[in-house]
Amino acid sequence: MAALSTLLLLPLGIAAALALARFRGPGKGALETLLSLPLVLPPTAVGLLLLELLARRGPLGGWLHARGIEVVFTWKAVVVATAVMSFPLLVRSARTAFEEVDPRLVGIARTLGCGAWAAFFRVTLPLAWRGVLAGTILAFSRALGEFGATVIIAGNIPGRTRTLALAIFHDNQIGRDDRAMVLAGVTIVLAFTALWLTEWITRRRARTVEP
Amino acid sequence: MIEARIELPLARFPLHVDLKLGRGVTALMGPSGSGKTSLLESIAGLRRAARGRIALEGERWLDTDAGVRLAPNQRRVGYVPQDAGLFPHLSVRGNVRFGLRDEAAAESAIDTLEIRDLLDRYPLSLSGGERQRVSLARALATRPRLLLLDEPLASLDLALRQRVLPYLVRIRDRWQVPCLYVTHNVGEALAVAERLVLLQDGAVQADGRPKELLAVPAVTREAEAGLENLLAGTIAGHDADGGVTRIDLDGGPPMSVPYSPDRKVGEGVTLSVRAEDVLVAIEPPTGLSARNVVAARITAVERTGADVTLHCALEDWDRGPAWFARVTPAATAVLGLAAGTRVWLAVKSHSVRMV
Repeated sequence: MAALSTLLLLPLGIAAALALARFRGPGKGALETLLSLPLVLPPTAVGLLLLELLARRGPLGGWLHARGIEVVFTWKAVVVATAVMSFPLLVRSARTAFEEVDPRLVGIARTLGCGAWAAFFRVTLPLAWRGVLAGTILAFSRALGEFGATVIIAGNIPGRTRTLALAIFHDNQIGRDDRAMVLAGVTIVLAFTALWLTEWITRRRARTVEP
Repeated sequence: MIEARIELPLARFPLHVDLKLGRGVTALMGPSGSGKTSLLESIAGLRRAARGRIALEGERWLDTDAGVRLAPNQRRVGYVPQDAGLFPHLSVRGNVRFGLRDEAAAESAIDTLEIRDLLDRYPLSLSGGERQRVSLARALATRPRLLLLDEPLASLDLALRQRVLPYLVRIRDRWQVPCLYVTHNVGEALAVAERLVLLQDGAVQADGRPKELLAVPAVTREAEAGLENLLAGTIAGHDADGGVTRIDLDGGPPMSVPYSPDRKVGEGVTLSVRAEDVLVAIEPPTGLSARNVVAARITAVERTGADVTLHCALEDWDRGPAWFARVTPAATAVLGLAAGTRVWLAVKSHSVRMV
């Protein structure tokens, strides 16, 4: 689930990060704040907003329901919840990376015959990929641990919407602390790996930028 | 031939030029912030706000009235920015081949600019002069139809400049593409350009042959290059022990410059001496380390900004060019310098550059 949500997030997050890095003008601050909001809001509040939006009688949920798509209390809800919650982390990290890419280099690539897409894939992304990757890993970890928003919009249905974080809570509630501890151990390993990777990548970036 | 009629709003004034450029190199000079780089970027297609008409050999790149605007990648310009603008994530080879259109052109550029030994290195490990050469080769490998060079030598120190300059001359002679060359340096303009356009506050102030324009102090002052004395002469001989090379000036005294054995005796050279580097004495100087001393008479005293520019005629060479010396108003007052004053001009060997 976390991997899927991260995968879905990637193109969106990169587009948003790029827009924020290049766009100058009124509304930039407001847009930035809005995108970062899930970072500071209580996750349950975000979950509630999403539930209102996606419920069968909600503005978006009704439209989807008419087309036979149910989101709430399915695995799709887990993906949506984790995606929304981890989006800002990806965007923030990727945006910093894109901002470090000199826009004049992109212009030079254009004069050398690259179209806008080619210039992005041959210059911008190769120069920013470490930041984008670091952001992706952070977003993935966040998605892995997401609890508040998920439990509200997706519920806690065994085998369907029960994520690692939800399972730990559940096991603890029913007194199976031993099982909860094993799961906690799994999360520690995953989180440690993700953070260590991020750390390693950013350190390498620092080294290549200043020889 | 390229025609460019461009209007572009800038922070302090609008850029407003109408130029027709033929083959060969056109030097573009002007004070910092006069719109030189903006003009190049507009021609390259990197300024979306640029309006007007740009056409190369009749092919329209920009025609705002007709709604034509070719993307930068459709224009085939070779743009070399001031700081070389190499892609740091690619090797020299990757940079040169980035916009490759013609294998033979790339190979030829690599040879012309002598960068074959650098192909596997990365831009961060290159010196300033090497970066500029790689950037030039990268532009040439696309077989550009127009070269836009933005102060290609500005970030280099004097010694490097003199090493890279011959490459530019070689490119001019071998590639035969129209070239717009931004520079602050009078010597460079003289060395490579057949035409000079002076830009100020976004408008063309002067347009003509470099030798004629640069003889006008007002123009060189606007070019912010510092006023330079440009003196033609021939190499008369080398003195290795004395560490000097002697030069016979056309219409001036013999001059000593730092030992330059790579120049052949009899070879014609142009010397450049900044007006600030000319010392002015009202008595024949004795016990002075400066090697080049000549008697002259002041013909005019001109207040130029914070300084005073003296126009001097050499005494023994009345057909030679006027010399310019720049001094402070205080020195002018203390020495009583005025039109008609007899003076001695002194120049250290190391203040004389060959261009």
